[in-house]
Amino acid sequence: MRIPDRRFALYLMTPAALFLAVFVAYPLFRLISDSFFKISPLVGGPREFVGFDNYVRAFTSPDFISAGWRTFAYTLTVVSLEFALGLGMALLFTTLGRKSQVWRTLFLYPLMIAPIVAGLLWKFLMIDNFGLLGTLLHQAGILQDPNQIGWLSNPDIVLFSVAVPDIWLTTSFMCLVLFAGLQNIPGDLIEAARLDGARAPSLLFRIILPLLRPVIAVALVVRGIDAARAFDTILIQTNGGPQSASETMSLLVYRTMIRFGDPGLASAMGTIYLLAMLAIAFVAVTTIWRPGKDT
Amino acid sequence: MSIAEANNHGGRPIGPAAPLPAGVAHSNAQAPASAVAGRSAFQPGRSASAPTPAGAGRKRRSVHREGLEAGKRSTRTILWILLAASLILYGFPFVYLLFTSFKTPIDTIAVPPTILPKEWTLQNYANALGRSGVPASFINSIQTAVISTLLSLVLSVPAAYGITRYKTRSGRIFIMAALVTRMVPPVAIGIPLASMMASVGLADTPIALSIAHTTISLPLSIWLMSSFFEAVPKDLEEAATVDGCSRLGALWRVVIPVVSGGIAVTAIFAFLASWNEFLFALLMTAIRSQTTPVVIANFQTQFGLDWGSMTALAAVYSIPVILLTLLLQRKIVAGMTLGAVKG
Repeated sequence: MRIPDRRFALYLMTPAALFLAVFVAYPLFRLISDSFFKISPLVGGPREFVGFDNYVRAFTSPDFISAGWRTFAYTLTVVSLEFALGLGMALLFTTLGRKSQVWRTLFLYPLMIAPIVAGLLWKFLMIDNFGLLGTLLHQAGILQDPNQIGWLSNPDIVLFSVAVPDIWLTTSFMCLVLFAGLQNIPGDLIEAARLDGARAPSLLFRIILPLLRPVIAVALVVRGIDAARAFDTILIQTNGGPQSASETMSLLVYRTMIRFGDPGLASAMGTIYLLAMLAIAFVAVTTIWRPGKDT
Repeated sequence: MSIAEANNHGGRPIGPAAPLPAGVAHSNAQAPASAVAGRSAFQPGRSASAPTPAGAGRKRRSVHREGLEAGKRSTRTILWILLAASLILYGFPFVYLLFTSFKTPIDTIAVPPTILPKEWTLQNYANALGRSGVPASFINSIQTAVISTLLSLVLSVPAAYGITRYKTRSGRIFIMAALVTRMVPPVAIGIPLASMMASVGLADTPIALSIAHTTISLPLSIWLMSSFFEAVPKDLEEAATVDGCSRLGALWRVVIPVVSGGIAVTAIFAFLASWNEFLFALLMTAIRSQTTPVVIANFQTQFGLDWGSMTALAAVYSIPVILLTLLLQRKIVAGMTLGAVKG
């Protein structure tokens, strides 16, 4: 006896669906239910139902609000710089054509490096006193004192500094996606525009960027979601400091849970964080990125 | 226009050595590029469509330029210099890490720092690898990554096949749901997941951690495998089923061999995602199953600031993966192209 195709397809999907239900959906359910309780950090400690109290505490906490803004600023910095650099490199590779292929491959190497290693490496480059970056800028005559810029110790700029490893790691990804997109632009179109006398800037802004729009949108959404979840690189570089100036949402949730021992509040924060991400992702996915559909 | 559509137009492969978007390693949702690379490699036809006559530039001032390719020789020279400069800048941080790992421990924190070691030594490597827990952490990392990769493949290959081959409503809902799980911040599910594992007696084991890592790699694997299956012509299995193969038989004997290159790519992504993962490893492991990223991070607190050992360990942990991926890249893409041609 032959089972119908639809049921056969369902059987094929069931193991993966069960896995995701048990190991993603259920923990999420636990997170959300925890957010309504006041929980003792001790294992097996008392739980007390407090309704929306944790949510009120989260929204009235200055730490939470500023972590939200920091996450936003961090994401914006990472994504815009990555986009600018990635597009520059993609254009460079495209204009150089096939001969740049080996270099394209080499350009990808940071993608294989663990974020924790990247964070560590950049901390080592930017750290006060024996950091190489300040010293090189000093030797080049740009800085008067190697420690003039406290990359990781000045609260005003630290959010930018902790973004550097993230940018370094994944500009390659941005470049890769944009490069693939650039290959799809018909050469005739560029030829025609050139014959019409279009110069490089108008070629870029009037033709290339509008044609790349779908690819750009996907790249920005994907990277935006990742950047908003950044954790490893920031933790290893500054642990959120100095004075919480680099404490993004992931770090705040982590610290509230582990260090301050308030799982209830941390769960509420995590839930809000998750809902915000899902809302943004939902809008992005439904409007621009529709996988699995034949369009 | 969706990315899937953008991909369908294919375009030239990124090159025979199509770069692997291995950024997944950072637990990132980087599927589109993978699909771009994967899909385009199935279309070898167009790769030959950009013959840039290399010699022509010598005779004429301007070579025939295809699309965006720069024509003038002077422009090209400037662009090459620009490329060289950016590659040197981009590559320098890791090279500096390597140089530092060969310095003497005192030299690593010398003020002012030097780029090259004054004296080349392997002392940092000896210190780092000789530390208790470090060799064990490598074994843990390998174990966790291998289990997670296998789990990810076993679950994603049939699921992706079900989604792409039968195009049912449930399949569409499922792939969307799988993508939504990629938006979940690991920090949000890490603690509940850890306590679940503890309650079934799996606390601090590579199994528990590899399950956690699979929650990261599975949605991506499903997405990747879907785009690989999408490229397999339906006639292939229809012919097989007509010949008396069952649907499972057709999948196993006909379709799987054709997408074996895609499976290899997916495996690499799943492996890297687990190998480089830090947050779950931090939350879910203690002494027994600690992976190397956690050990590297612990160097900061546990042993003061031993930068020399940290750089050495970071180098030992990163280099095999970089080399392996760069080496395998060509084979994987060749495999994919061959599979498509034969199919």
